[in-house]
Amino acid sequence: MEHRGPLRVVGWEGMTVSGNIVEALGVHGDGAASPIVFLTLKRALAAGAGLLDSLPIGVYTCDREGLLVQHNRKAAELWGRSPAPGEALSESPMRDVLATGRPVRDREAVVERSDGSRATILANVDPLFDDDGTLIGAVTCFQDITDFKRAGALLRDQEQSFRDLLEALPAAIYTTDAKGKVTFFNRAAAELAGREPKLGEDEWCITWRLYHSDGMPMPHDECPMAQALKRNEAIRGAEAIVERPDGARFPMIPYPTPLRDADGKLIGAVNMLVDISERKKAELQQKALVDEVNHRVKNTLATVQSLAGQTLRGVVPNAVRDAFEARLLALSRVHDLLARQQWECAELETILKDVFAPYRQGRADRIRLGGGAVRLSPRAALTLAMVLHELATNAAKYGALSAPEGTLTVTWRVEESSQNRDLHIEWQEAGGPPVEVPRATGFGSKLLKRGIEQELGGAARIAFDPEGVRCTIDIALPLSDG
Amino acid sequence: MAAQPVAGLKILVVEDEAIVSFLLEDMLIELGCAEIWLAGSVAQALALLRDKAPDLALLDVSLAGEFAYPVAERLVQLQIPFVFATGYGRKGIASEWQSRLVIQKPFDQETLVLALAEAIGG
Repeated sequence: MEHRGPLRVVGWEGMTVSGNIVEALGVHGDGAASPIVFLTLKRALAAGAGLLDSLPIGVYTCDREGLLVQHNRKAAELWGRSPAPGEALSESPMRDVLATGRPVRDREAVVERSDGSRATILANVDPLFDDDGTLIGAVTCFQDITDFKRAGALLRDQEQSFRDLLEALPAAIYTTDAKGKVTFFNRAAAELAGREPKLGEDEWCITWRLYHSDGMPMPHDECPMAQALKRNEAIRGAEAIVERPDGARFPMIPYPTPLRDADGKLIGAVNMLVDISERKKAELQQKALVDEVNHRVKNTLATVQSLAGQTLRGVVPNAVRDAFEARLLALSRVHDLLARQQWECAELETILKDVFAPYRQGRADRIRLGGGAVRLSPRAALTLAMVLHELATNAAKYGALSAPEGTLTVTWRVEESSQNRDLHIEWQEAGGPPVEVPRATGFGSKLLKRGIEQELGGAARIAFDPEGVRCTIDIALPLSDG
Repeated sequence: MAAQPVAGLKILVVEDEAIVSFLLEDMLIELGCAEIWLAGSVAQALALLRDKAPDLALLDVSLAGEFAYPVAERLVQLQIPFVFATGYGRKGIASEWQSRLVIQKPFDQETLVLALAEAIGG
């Protein structure tokens, strides 16, 4: 290639503006005229060459032979040196442009600086033509993308490690795009579904078939994941039954959660499916166990009832046997109540209704109950039920329930403060025969005292007013109880 | 008990626990039943039903590891009214028998006679 001397700009004569390319005439050192070119914006003309130097990207122009015409400060910085005009340049993108006359876009290249350090650059090269359409050179804009590339690689590494992490998790996880098409699933997810999900094809869920807990089919587009995407909100507390292609079914809890980009726009959703067969099985087992214990307790009570009957028959007056049996049955009834609530709690009103059940036939209006909902612990329920049974038996034998005109009113309320929740129960009989103070302390009075005061830490008072028995019971309720 | 609706009736009692059966027997005698046949298992009950014709039956649901339902089916065929007795209560009864009379163990004589009277439609 013919090598001529360095070019220098000698003037702006014959200058034309076409797009961003400004052409100007220059002369070589030997005086031969040659067109020189450089890229700048129209405004650059006004600002002068200083603007080119202030650009944050490297810019240089070369002539038809690939000899450097001009470069800006950033280009020198990226090269690590400041080549003289006229130096032959070897950058291939520019060579391609000079050979083909066509621009090159976004070409990545690695350049080595004079100090041996390397940088990745992104280059855009445009051919330069004169008015006749003759190729006269090229202009190259390039920028250092080393850091950007490094950040991108780091991001990819991170993404890969997150994928590896998800893949390794023993929880079944998959993601979909905003339209519900599956975009990712891990091994545990495929194993749970019993099938290999198809990325980009499967919609809403990776499972084969879904059913509601009652066994009704659940279309995939109505599944919790579909709802999470359609409503753009996380769904919790849902349950479904999964059917694998081999027909096996099991209960599952999904945790579908929408995914949003930095602007809050819905871009997809992630779902975790948890197989709850074991939990369900354990729940059933526990329930069966509680049922069995309840059943055995009842059978044992029936046996005790029979033993007492066999032992006492003909030995003691029937009234004694009956009193024993009534107490045993009262205990049994409160057991039933608690068993129905899995031995967690019992409602005070339900206990009272149970206690009065034998006395209400035909005279229900004579027993009045008034108070709000109060839940009692099994311990409090058992003791209170037995105490109330004694009071009711007494009322039926000697008190208000023994006379046709008698009435019995039981009211209760809960007083709450920051430290305490106290239950106050009031038992008031009226209209019965004149009350006499009992001569001896019977089982009922003892139970009232010890059961309420010692066992439950409460207070009980009974007053044998001539016009009717009056009893007040105060017990502390646990604070946490709603 | 003023009226004794089961007085004079022949009754089959299916109960696997001897001690509990004493109690049932005593109650039924007091109620004036004419005849009481006791069975402790499904096989015994079915055998009894081949020879005897009770007017009424009282069935413990759970009989030493087996359910009394085959006896209940036979009673339905023979059109003999019956009452289930169980420690499990109503929820311990198989769903197809849910509409039947059930009394929860332990029970007193009054509860028993009310249920038996209802079973025979009295």
